[in-house]
Amino acid sequence: MANINWRTINIDALDPDSPANFDVSSLTPAVAPVSTADVQNNAQQIRQLLRGGDNEGALQGALENPPYGADDKGKETHLATVTEILQSIRQSDMSPMLSRIYKAPGGTEALDVLMKYIYKGMAQAAPASNTRNLTPQATGFSQIHSRGGGEGGGQAMSVLLSWHEKLVEIAGPGSIVRVMSDRRTV
Amino acid sequence: MSQSLRPYLQCVRSSLTAALSLSNFASQASERHNVPEIEAASSPEVILNPLTVSRNENERVYIEPSINSVRISIKIKQADEIEHILVHKFTRFLTQRAESFYILRRKPVKGYDITFLITNFHTEEMLKHKLVDFIIQFMEEVDKEISEMKLFLNARARFVAESFLTPFD
Repeated sequence: MANINWRTINIDALDPDSPANFDVSSLTPAVAPVSTADVQNNAQQIRQLLRGGDNEGALQGALENPPYGADDKGKETHLATVTEILQSIRQSDMSPMLSRIYKAPGGTEALDVLMKYIYKGMAQAAPASNTRNLTPQATGFSQIHSRGGGEGGGQAMSVLLSWHEKLVEIAGPGSIVRVMSDRRTV
Repeated sequence: MSQSLRPYLQCVRSSLTAALSLSNFASQASERHNVPEIEAASSPEVILNPLTVSRNENERVYIEPSINSVRISIKIKQADEIEHILVHKFTRFLTQRAESFYILRRKPVKGYDITFLITNFHTEEMLKHKLVDFIIQFMEEVDKEISEMKLFLNARARFVAESFLTPFD
């Protein structure tokens, strides 16, 4: 005990009544737990729709029942499904499709879920590689390498970015606020 | 502006506009204190979900919103080691003068190159859309600045090497 610097102990963490120990789970609406197998089944069905050419139905199906209660693996599976759908839809079809979903019953919720997936998709690519691509010379001095280097994953990101732009046009900045404030994460 | 930069900046702009809805919020831990909750992290319920906007794996913005403060971290593109050094020198130059920039944080968040901290007091005395414009403009300029510095550095290095090696010719 003698070598512990007691001045650095965070006493708030030890006090059950302090705001630092606020139970965040009480802010989350109850979500039903979803097993990873269910998510995978759902993904299969959505892929069927996608293969049949029904992009809009696939997107709606994916956004209807987001697996809020699934574990990390299940959530990742669903994210992969949503990203796949988003990538298979052409740029010119985005806006009309989004406005149709927006007008349908429960449309705002569906678009909020889509916004969550867009942000999650962008966050996903971020920590992929922390290794900087080094120059072959030991000095690090190179004029050959242009500033275009390191565009890895840029293609998938630009799809998400253009979806984001279209989505904000239709659903408004409120959907971003709901992504930030909703404790049910995808 | 390049084709992929515009949607990126547009996305950052709308995300920032949404995140910068701040209100005054006094500390719940100690009386008569008013601290940025995102830094203090003393009340988990007032901290919101963070957002990431990325253009590719080397360029991204991380927005951490809370009730009275927003932390915005930017990762600047670094294609090689020279750019890494230049970015480091450049951001250090700025962060050492953090008081004159008001919203600049003295230390970047881990994994990012430069961080801004905007509190409700900043949004009260400055215009919100101008703050967003400032961050966007910074992001536009910093890329240009770094490539320019790299060109100058290369030209200078070539000149120095040439004049150094002339006697041995």
